[in-house]
Amino acid sequence: MKKSDKIFVDSDVIVSSLISQQGAAHLLINKSNLNLYISNFSYKELKIVCRRLKLNGYHLERLIKNNFIFIKLKQTIKKIKSKYGKYTTDKNDSHIVAGAVKAKARFIISYNIKHFKTNLIKKDFNIILLTPGHFLQYLRSQ
Amino acid sequence: MNNPLVYTPEQAADLLQLSKSTVYSLINQGEIVAKKIGKVYRIPASSLSFVFTGLDYDLYQAEKKDFKQIEKIQKEIAKARRSL
Repeated sequence: MKKSDKIFVDSDVIVSSLISQQGAAHLLINKSNLNLYISNFSYKELKIVCRRLKLNGYHLERLIKNNFIFIKLKQTIKKIKSKYGKYTTDKNDSHIVAGAVKAKARFIISYNIKHFKTNLIKKDFNIILLTPGHFLQYLRSQ
Repeated sequence: MNNPLVYTPEQAADLLQLSKSTVYSLINQGEIVAKKIGKVYRIPASSLSFVFTGLDYDLYQAEKKDFKQIEKIQKEIAKARRSL
């Protein structure tokens, strides 16, 4: 893996890292020297989910500010679903693929791999989907 | 992970598709954690976690911790995504 490789992180990984400090998500997100990305749509849903799960909004903001690079998807969610829906089994997850493509990411890290058409995403964008644990395992093999 | 709880170096070599001497060498280097009992080694299944789970034992345990909450988290994310 090159130092410049970009990693787009799905929201389930970010929320997991806020809930458990011993989990793989927390280990990954707090690892230094990784270029972690999220989009404006991810941030919006993260705020909703944190509120519903009664997680500290300040912790979320601090985590995003300190550990992530923020990218803005300018298209509407409708257009994103229309363009990237074919890469997911649930069109509502399309913005994750859109964000990774915009970030020029090499990896998407998610616990929801089954909702993504991994082979098609690899073929069209050369992006690999991994869980946090498998990504950390990959880093150990470098 | 299934039984047995411990493996001989020979069994570990078979599982990892390595030679017996490589396994002994990895034990000496500390890459495979083993216990010397008398004159023989026994390797706990956790040292061979990668074979069974694709992950080192600590990473396997770390993912398991996340899995405890993941269903609830993904349910809330799905709800939030429908409202975007």
